[in-house]
Amino acid sequence: MSNGNATIRNHIRRLRFEHGEMSQDKLGSQAGVTRHTIMALEAGKYFPSLLLAFRIARAFGVGLEQVFEYSEAGDAGFPASSEGESQK
Amino acid sequence: MTDSEKGAVWMLGVVALTSAAYFVVLALRGDSPVTGKAFALLALMAVPKNSWRYFAGRRFDEREKEIAHKALLMSFRAMWLLVVVSFVFMARVKGMDAALSLPMWKVGEGLCWLGMLSLAVQAATTLVLYRRGSHV
Repeated sequence: MSNGNATIRNHIRRLRFEHGEMSQDKLGSQAGVTRHTIMALEAGKYFPSLLLAFRIARAFGVGLEQVFEYSEAGDAGFPASSEGESQK
Repeated sequence: MTDSEKGAVWMLGVVALTSAAYFVVLALRGDSPVTGKAFALLALMAVPKNSWRYFAGRRFDEREKEIAHKALLMSFRAMWLLVVVSFVFMARVKGMDAALSLPMWKVGEGLCWLGMLSLAVQAATTLVLYRRGSHV
């Protein structure tokens, strides 16, 4: 996941906004993690496990790929824009 | 600040306080078994409420677990490094055939310092990983 040429972005911040400014605390309790972990995810400081990724997607009622986005060097749009960029 | 970070800050404070107390006693009383009593201050580690979270049934989420695991690993590495460096240093100074004769309180103090190093590295690593991200 932390390969130099690969990036995982997430759209948690935007999805929270679209879900009536859902609080980080609420999303955290729905996903079974603390508010701090949601903050770290949004700031790109943490890679979620597959289980957590599915839980977050379920909390928003969307598919996994609508929350997380994987791209490699050479893909269109690489490098990722600042919004929701998670890991390089 | 998370509970783990608060615990780490407290831990660093206790280590600093214990070290300071040790050197004050050392300056006042000289090198004697009395200096080892400063390590009783390590019991302060059990005072903050968040140090009881293991027993209170609070769960760590996956990120907290990952950071705790990495911090523990780093503390063991530091301890192991100190043991190896100390051995090599003493072997060079005294020679491989030398016999050591130490009072038990010196051995106890050495172990306490080793524990202090481990706690300090664990706390510092915890703080760094929470701030910079656990994937770095």
